[in-house]
Amino acid sequence: MEETLAAGDEQDRALVRRYLAGQRDAASGLVDRYQKRLFNVALRMLGNEQDAEDVTQTVFLNAFLKLRTYDPRYRFFSWVYRMTVNESLNTLKRRKHTVTLEDESAIPAPATAPDRTAEARDRVGKALMGLKPDDRAVVVLKHFVSFSYEEIADVLEIPVKTVKSRLFTARERLRITLRERAE
Amino acid sequence: MLNRDQIELIHREIDGTNTPEGHAAFRSLMVADPEARALEADLREVTRLFHQAGEREPPPHLKQAILDALPVPARAAPRTETGWLTPPAMVRWFVSQLRLVTARTEEAIMNKRTMIYGGVAVAITIVLAGIVTGFPPLGGGAGTIGGVEQASRYKGRSMTQADVTLANPEIAVLFQNPEILRLVRSDVFRKTMQNSAFRELQASAAYREVMTSAAYREMAASEAYRELLASETYRELLASEAYRELLASEAYRELLASEAFRQLEAQGAARDVRSAEAMRELQASEAFRELQANAAYRELLASEAFRELQANAAYREVLASEAFRELQASAAFRELEANAAYRELQASEAFRELQASDAFRELQTAEAFRALSRSEALSNQFMREAMRVAP
Repeated sequence: MEETLAAGDEQDRALVRRYLAGQRDAASGLVDRYQKRLFNVALRMLGNEQDAEDVTQTVFLNAFLKLRTYDPRYRFFSWVYRMTVNESLNTLKRRKHTVTLEDESAIPAPATAPDRTAEARDRVGKALMGLKPDDRAVVVLKHFVSFSYEEIADVLEIPVKTVKSRLFTARERLRITLRERAE
Repeated sequence: MLNRDQIELIHREIDGTNTPEGHAAFRSLMVADPEARALEADLREVTRLFHQAGEREPPPHLKQAILDALPVPARAAPRTETGWLTPPAMVRWFVSQLRLVTARTEEAIMNKRTMIYGGVAVAITIVLAGIVTGFPPLGGGAGTIGGVEQASRYKGRSMTQADVTLANPEIAVLFQNPEILRLVRSDVFRKTMQNSAFRELQASAAYREVMTSAAYREMAASEAYRELLASETYRELLASEAYRELLASEAYRELLASEAFRQLEAQGAARDVRSAEAMRELQASEAFRELQANAAYRELLASEAFRELQANAAYREVLASEAFRELQASAAFRELEANAAYRELQASEAFRELQASDAFRELQTAEAFRALSRSEALSNQFMREAMRVAP
């Protein structure tokens, strides 16, 4: 796993170097590597596809604008995930309306998805939107990106202890919500 | 009833992070406590649902929209072994640059949404360009005259003509700099000093506040900012007829004055260029539509200088800097933007020429100069004194 991460880091660094050297196809490479993951993080955070798309675009735009100042000692993926979470939190703050558990528009599943998957997405999406945004961020990074406690702490710039505390509290809340909705 | 430690033990087991001792404690708990078993089953169901929900595919157009919006990366000109370009190599390099621009334009035209966003981003970038260039930099090791420290000296009292003499050490030191002396004797300097908008600006509290703010000093001291101001492309753009027309256009002024634009600025335009509700409002505004139809604006967008500027690393760095964002969000900055004198000056050719001059930027760091330049009589006295100095 460590080797895979290290290889991924090196690939990121190589793409960043190539982009800064003026090779536009390197941007395409970075977008290919991260657009799906960042879009999904934003989608789970926001519960709205259009907003998730906007956030993903914003994050990439900012990342490329700031690449010259990016410190390669740090992991590229931590950097872009941090930007995605922060941008999603900013979007939530700016929203005039709030999405409630009853909001049927929260993360609509595509019509082509198998029924059970669609149902799971629907249930999970609604339950997630019932969490506080900071707690939701931890759950999303843990369960949809499969980050360790330490990686989540690095991305969100909070202590590992806080990560655990938020995660356990959030899952407890999700457990209750999902059980109530199943009954 | 499970206690906190037991609940955490179960969560850690779900995450696979228990130590061997923790795992053993978990097994014992499962055997002994039905409530613990129920909790574990519930949590596993939650994680199963997460797994089942899986990942969604992003919209198919997303990647292209991202790439369309990206700045053109700065390209290094090709080099031969000797380090010099042969003429054919130079031609090939220029053609490759043109191809890149054409391809990007075509891509943008294919995607209406991107065009709209791109248009807004470009409009904002133009506005920011005006903002960035609007201030000559302060201090930060810029020269021997210093600035902020001297500010307090003239703050408490008015300057008189008697102060503006070679006997005044502050004035004398200005004329010891041959570049400043040459500048002060130039026609372009005389024109600016005779400009009432310039005097008004020098007297503006907002201008003073911005010039002495930490954010501005930080930005002005940055290498990127200096590089930007020294860039030929940037100067070319600002000197273009299209840029001047744009600054003078009603639509541009309305855009600057609009609430949506102010919101964008307050949030940091580069950061929120795609997602802010303010951006959507801006798009829908009459001023923005007018701006898009403005011939000067379109000419500017199509200009090589503007495209090059977008690719200029220093420019991007300045726009992305915290100092610049902080400045944008400040009340003084917004007040200055709304200042008619400031806008008038930006449209003046003499002022633009001055801004490109290192000597003028250095001169501006002297509080004595700022104090005297607020008055026509003192300005004239200053120039008379300059003429007395032997070249």
